[in-house]
Amino acid sequence: MEITEGVPPVINLTEVAEREKEEFEKKVSELIIEFGAENLLACMQCGACASICPLARVGFEWYNKKLIKAILIGMKEELLDDPTPWACVACNRCTEICPRQVAPFEVMFAMRRLMVEEFAIPTLAIEGLRSLYEHGHAVYMTGREARKKVGLPENPPSTDSDEKALQDLRTILKNTKLAELGLIPME
Amino acid sequence: MISETVKEEKKLKFGLFLGCNISFNRPDVEQAMRKIFPALGVEIDDLVGQSCCPTWGTVPSIDIVGWCAVAARNLALGEEKGIDLMTACNSCYGSLNEARHKMLKNPEIMSKVNEILAKIGKKYEGKAKCRHVAWVLYKDVGLEKIKESIKYSLDGITVAVQPGCHFLWPSEVYPDKEKDPFNPKVLRELCEALGAEAPYYTKLIDCCGMGALRSTDPEKSFILVREKLECIKEEIDADLIVTTCSSCLIQLDDAQEKLRKEGKINFSIPVLHYVQLLAICMGFDPQQVAGICVTPRDEVIKMILEGGKR
Repeated sequence: MEITEGVPPVINLTEVAEREKEEFEKKVSELIIEFGAENLLACMQCGACASICPLARVGFEWYNKKLIKAILIGMKEELLDDPTPWACVACNRCTEICPRQVAPFEVMFAMRRLMVEEFAIPTLAIEGLRSLYEHGHAVYMTGREARKKVGLPENPPSTDSDEKALQDLRTILKNTKLAELGLIPME
Repeated sequence: MISETVKEEKKLKFGLFLGCNISFNRPDVEQAMRKIFPALGVEIDDLVGQSCCPTWGTVPSIDIVGWCAVAARNLALGEEKGIDLMTACNSCYGSLNEARHKMLKNPEIMSKVNEILAKIGKKYEGKAKCRHVAWVLYKDVGLEKIKESIKYSLDGITVAVQPGCHFLWPSEVYPDKEKDPFNPKVLRELCEALGAEAPYYTKLIDCCGMGALRSTDPEKSFILVREKLECIKEEIDADLIVTTCSSCLIQLDDAQEKLRKEGKINFSIPVLHYVQLLAICMGFDPQQVAGICVTPRDEVIKMILEGGKR
């Protein structure tokens, strides 16, 4: 905007909002592609993925085919609070059956990654990440009765019994996007 | 000829990748592997310092390079020793192989991963992969050797097989593939090698509802496991459910008890991982190789030990 002498520029907020909104919405599909769903645009909405998806079967709102459609028309806000992507079991039936190599699983997980950027991440996922960082195991138990019961050493030969390996894993995690986002405390 | 075979067998060595659930929830599966593989001529390396694969709800949900970097550290533990990994957990199998596939397909990801690994003095070249224990048994050990190794057979026993999702899909990323990933045969043949009937049932390839689905919405997860159990009961009235996945094992065993308590099902079908079933048939102590369960296994184990003695 041109500044004329002595007069502050007039900013048309409605115009800016419209423009921002357009860019913002355009970005949804671009971000999904950037976050791993490289072949998103090949989707022709045939529905093969939905026919085989466990989430669609039990009534989740934004299962693969429907999520892809929503992304392609630029929806975002409506999707951010939805739990569907976090319920995806990553079974990859959809990837196997898709006739256009869209890999709907990648779309589901790219959606998770987009939600993480917006801090729309479930508490359970945070706990898993924290446990991974602290112990090297997303699922971790301090009780070792089960291992003793079946005649095994109390500690598995993992980061659980190898301090150097645990530090190595932490170094790796500190050099990933997880650290950039600051989702969990990392010493 | 015989000496050649022996020589071949001696070469079999894998890094035993445990994963979280087997390490802490179901260590009887770990013990079963530690018993059966050496007895079948497969050497095990402990892969000291291994971690979570990483599982789906963690780094794979944050970004791809981070996912691959954690997976690559685990795979590198095998690569350094010139061996592949093997796992009895489908989630580990899926996560490690999908990560490897991404790294091999995309050199940019591979180089970013190696930049990170360099910080801990490691590298990964994409050589080591993760095999599934069921495939190692099927392809590397072989059905004949399994048949020769068992002391107890499953004659007269009907099993319902549950290969589990990541044993099958996406077939593109896995080192071993079923001829038809929507009509899997490997686990059925492995069970038949023990003398069991392992018939087809309508929901054989259906999801058990474990993992993210269960932690996000247990009610919806139980719809799937209930339908699966009812199908197994109605169509083939199985004595036993046999799976190749530690997550399916936990879900089918654990959720079954919850469904009974809620009065939603009125039957009980014991569940075993295939390595546990094989360990029992080979004569190892059931307390050690199958001692942890919610749905009782005693009766079926007794049936195997008393009824099927060779």
